[in-house]
Amino acid sequence: MVLTKEEIQKRYKEKILPENKNPYHFEKREHATTITAYNPMCGDKYKLYLEEEGSQINALHFHGIGCAISKAATSILTRKIEGMSKTDAKKFCEQFMNALKSEGESSDLEEELKILAELKNFNGRLDCIQLSWKALFEYLTSAD
Amino acid sequence: MANLYRNQFLIFDKHPGLAYLDNAATTQRPKVVVEAIYDFYAYENANIHRGVYDLSNNATQKYEAVRSQVARFLGTENAASIAFTKGTTESVNIVANSFLSPTLNEGDNVVTTIMEHHANFIPWQKIAQEKKVEFRVIPIDKNGDLNLLALNNLIDRKTKLLSVNHISNTLGTINPIEEIIEIAHKKGVPVMLDAAQSAAYYELSQKKLQYDFLAFSAHKLFGPFGVGILYVADNYIENILPYNLGGGIIREVSVEETLFNNYPYNMDAGTPNIGGAMGLAAAIKFVSGLDKKEIQENINHLRIYCEEKLRAINDVNILGNPKKKSGIISFTIKAIHPHDIASFLNQDNIAVRAGMHCTQPLLNALATPATVRVSFSVYNTKEEVDRLVHSIKELINFWS
Repeated sequence: MVLTKEEIQKRYKEKILPENKNPYHFEKREHATTITAYNPMCGDKYKLYLEEEGSQINALHFHGIGCAISKAATSILTRKIEGMSKTDAKKFCEQFMNALKSEGESSDLEEELKILAELKNFNGRLDCIQLSWKALFEYLTSAD
Repeated sequence: MANLYRNQFLIFDKHPGLAYLDNAATTQRPKVVVEAIYDFYAYENANIHRGVYDLSNNATQKYEAVRSQVARFLGTENAASIAFTKGTTESVNIVANSFLSPTLNEGDNVVTTIMEHHANFIPWQKIAQEKKVEFRVIPIDKNGDLNLLALNNLIDRKTKLLSVNHISNTLGTINPIEEIIEIAHKKGVPVMLDAAQSAAYYELSQKKLQYDFLAFSAHKLFGPFGVGILYVADNYIENILPYNLGGGIIREVSVEETLFNNYPYNMDAGTPNIGGAMGLAAAIKFVSGLDKKEIQENINHLRIYCEEKLRAINDVNILGNPKKKSGIISFTIKAIHPHDIASFLNQDNIAVRAGMHCTQPLLNALATPATVRVSFSVYNTKEEVDRLVHSIKELINFWS
């Protein structure tokens, strides 16, 4: 499925741009585990600040520079992940990244994530969508 | 004028509305180049240097004739100064590893510039680290010109090589190569010229520019991917060691030892890209048929026209304002990331590049995370610039 210009603009207008302009938890944190989400091909770079307590994630903040999609996708991640157990958070990231890999519609995703996942059909932007999701997933996997 | 060239490129038959503005990454291929590659594989295909039959002999002769053609293209008579490589990157790596590295001793230094493509930066950085010698990097000024005073100061008697690009692939700066080489040669320092961005339209005569090593890629002058050239000046030919090891580069092999051919015949280990060399030959013929001065002027007009239009838009910032500039423009738009800009331009059938352009040290120095890059070639038109500018204005409106 290739998205038309109008379909892309609609998704940007409804979801990406508001999230990009007012990202959730967009600030540096001192007492947190720092995870770097970096795409050396385009230069997008965020520091993820993970506040963890045992098997729980209390909060995730982020700061850095990137495109509207990577910023919106990171913002959504920080909001969704808050308060989850690490096991659930890992599954959650994995499920989303699997949806990005699959070819058809991502019908089992909630609406907000579905909009994000559909942008995988926006040429060359898959890495932008999953930048921070992948970084967090890799951290949680390595910390197992 | 540009349409005169445009119809020689089949890609525009298939994509008539495409504004292809990513020529610094790779140019399109004219029909004559595609046909030369096709004809070789279709009617003349055989491996070189191996057979005594006619097809193989003919292929060998054609391949060696390309070497001579490249030598003439660079204004030198000596075909033995020319090696076929995979591209500019491999050519630089060969000079770094098969020439420079074995000569480095404590106290030596290697010099390059902050505006280099990673291909002309990392190989020097790495061998400098391995050999524990100093890696010196010439800075630029605020306009994006090399700081020649710093260059003069950073090169000394312990400098074993200066490697510099002719044209910056990010800023479009055309470096004063003759002046730079003169400074280096006065101190007895050989110079490698990365001509990836200049080979298509700029003067590369070795006799005029006096470089000691030169690299370029076929695909940036209308030729095929996977073929490049390394030129080595006569003084250094004997010092180039084999790079990849294998068949085709040897004099004699025994269990105890192997004796190698001399440069350039110690570079073609394995079967080289023979079809690619035929494409390169056609590409050089194509660019040799262009009026370089006229093309430079056309592209320069297009670049200036585009810059004027872009400058007139609020929030657009063009990186660098060097004394001499090629057909490359890097810019940013306030609050819109280059990746988003390039994606939206793609929706309007305009191909540009966004990112760091393999020049992270340069962008770090300019405190810019990424840029949009527009780069022109012979087939681009003012109408395409107008479309680009229109789309950018539309995007800024949409974003706000």
